[in-house]
Amino acid sequence: MSVLARSVGNAFRNKVRTAAVVAVLAVAIGLALAMLVANQAVGAKVQELNASVGTVLTVNPAGGQGFEGGGEPLSSEQAATAAGVPNVTAVVGTKALRLRNAAEAAAQAAAGQAGGPGGGQGGPGGQSTTTLTTSLTAAVDAGTLGNRNQASEGTTGATGTTQPARTLPITATGIGAEVDSAGKALELTEGTGLGDYTADSTKALLGTTLAEKNNLKVGSTFTINSKTFTVAGLFDAGTTFGNNALYVTLPAAQTLAELPGELSTMIVTVNSMENVDSTKTALQAALGTDKADVTQGQRNLETAVSSLDSVKNISLVAFVAALGTAGLIILLIMVMLVRERRREIGVLKAIGAPNLTIGLQFVLEALVLVALGSVVGAAIASFASGGIASALVSSSTSTTTAATGQRGPGLAGAAGGFPGGVPGQGGPLGGASQLLTSVTASASPGVIAAGIAAVFGVAIIGALVPALLTARIRPIEVLRGE
Amino acid sequence: MIEVKNLVRAFKSGDRTIKPVNDVSFELEQGTLASIVGKSGSGKSTLLSLLGALDKPTSGDVVVNGVSLAGMPDGKLTEYRRRDIGFVFQQFNLIPNLSALDNVMLPMEFAGMRKSARAQRARELLEQVQLDPDKHVRRINRLSGGEQQRVAIARALANEPKLILADEPTGNLDEQTGEHIIELLSSLSRDHNTTILVVTHDRSLANKTDRRFRLQQGKLTEEPARNRAAVPAAV
Repeated sequence: MSVLARSVGNAFRNKVRTAAVVAVLAVAIGLALAMLVANQAVGAKVQELNASVGTVLTVNPAGGQGFEGGGEPLSSEQAATAAGVPNVTAVVGTKALRLRNAAEAAAQAAAGQAGGPGGGQGGPGGQSTTTLTTSLTAAVDAGTLGNRNQASEGTTGATGTTQPARTLPITATGIGAEVDSAGKALELTEGTGLGDYTADSTKALLGTTLAEKNNLKVGSTFTINSKTFTVAGLFDAGTTFGNNALYVTLPAAQTLAELPGELSTMIVTVNSMENVDSTKTALQAALGTDKADVTQGQRNLETAVSSLDSVKNISLVAFVAALGTAGLIILLIMVMLVRERRREIGVLKAIGAPNLTIGLQFVLEALVLVALGSVVGAAIASFASGGIASALVSSSTSTTTAATGQRGPGLAGAAGGFPGGVPGQGGPLGGASQLLTSVTASASPGVIAAGIAAVFGVAIIGALVPALLTARIRPIEVLRGE
Repeated sequence: MIEVKNLVRAFKSGDRTIKPVNDVSFELEQGTLASIVGKSGSGKSTLLSLLGALDKPTSGDVVVNGVSLAGMPDGKLTEYRRRDIGFVFQQFNLIPNLSALDNVMLPMEFAGMRKSARAQRARELLEQVQLDPDKHVRRINRLSGGEQQRVAIARALANEPKLILADEPTGNLDEQTGEHIIELLSSLSRDHNTTILVVTHDRSLANKTDRRFRLQQGKLTEEPARNRAAVPAAV
């Protein structure tokens, strides 16, 4: 019988005690692994947040974020100026258009109505938004707010006067790269991109719900101001309003608006998170405070990231603490076993067992217990890590979320006031609280393996102390009690 | 050859100093079968533990084949016990959760013998001590006291030691098995030139040894020798 076989046999000498020890170890190891998984998940989330929105600046016409209207629209020359600012890696211009169904617009014109709800609700950026007609019908029906006095079917509650049926406008954006108006990469679900985004073309990308509403597929055609466009691809923006939109190339939008060189916004990408603040200042100075407003998209996310960082630190500390607890349990259990088996150790020494063999036997026995505890602990971690991570994130970020929530609507309104504003931009900014709580902790085999390796490392240290104690036991112990 | 020189083992008990082994000196030629008799608590087991390097003397020395145990480092003493000594303890001191076979194989494992070789030798030794083959793989705690005693004797013989120290080796055996064990020990000393020192209360066993010692109040005295030829050959 080898040392290993003897160690395994010894680990199961007292099955009830072994079960109890394994259960206690499993809780400690499970907690350690769950904390490690949470730590990894939160770390990945922080990286994701930093990578997605952390280095993007948005430039709007001066005053464009207020309700009083803004100054002069942005121009291609300003885009070139922005591109020359140090640490700027990319500048993407956008041109926002508002599209109304041609038949509906004609009916309203016949009824003598100059503007509908869309025309009067242009939020920020509305001053540079041009209204055009299209063959498309909006995928979003008029909401209940409009129905109070002006229902979509054409009646008003107060007077009963018949009004022409109306739908919400469609947002069309000319883009200089395959990104949405917030600088986020478009998620194409079908077809291809627009190819050269700096050339005037008749290709368009449609939101999935807009395409579905109008029975359009990749290759179908539609018109904007009598100009025919072909659907090159479909995208999913993730929101109903975001998908009631279409993208054309920037020159195409400028041509449609008959405003060549004019931009609604600029999306400026900075080379690193550390340079965002200084670049924002430099960009603002280069463009002039009376010409453009530079906003930092990630500002309120910084609080979120900071909060997640604290969760990450807490989970790391908890991982180390749980790991230490597992090591301490092993230490105490093995010390108890060594004391209990003094006489047996004396026998082994009396018949010539070297200290190394006896110590190794006890270390291996400890590792057998740890292996069993790790199996059960890994199962516990795989079930509990998600809940533990969520609990950690939600408890640690409740204050942050409240603070973010206060600032969120303001930013959302400023950046995303539908339909005049830039679609989609309010989402990630106003939804920071959702981002915070959307940390998904899944126990990947790699993380579990790394955690178990750490547990074994600690267990070996914990088992070495009692193993060294065995070396101090003298063989005369064998005669004790005889 | 074993030379014991002025061996003393003293313990403190309050203000008193107890000397279960007090200035003991004797020599044993290789291949001698010797016995020590004495009352309970007379220091017989203490003397055995000193000879087997389980304990260290307060003063004096044990010299085995010209090598002194005094001042020998622990590692060397372990090696000495593994290679040169076979113990038969009064309370057997077998590992309870191992089988009879595994217990006998333990000293051979520590000596680095290959698994197949030690398994074969362990079976032979268990047969020599007349343990039923179907009990070879039985756990120690499922064997009777006499069977455990035989396993303990087989374990002591495992590495073919030069010196066997046996504390009451026939104490738990029936008369017939006890006779057989005496014959076995006698043949080992005679045929394999193994020195055997037996501590016993059993007068019949003591009478069959080459030399008889009596330990009384820590002092060792030798009693008249018997006729070795009277012991029948065995094994």
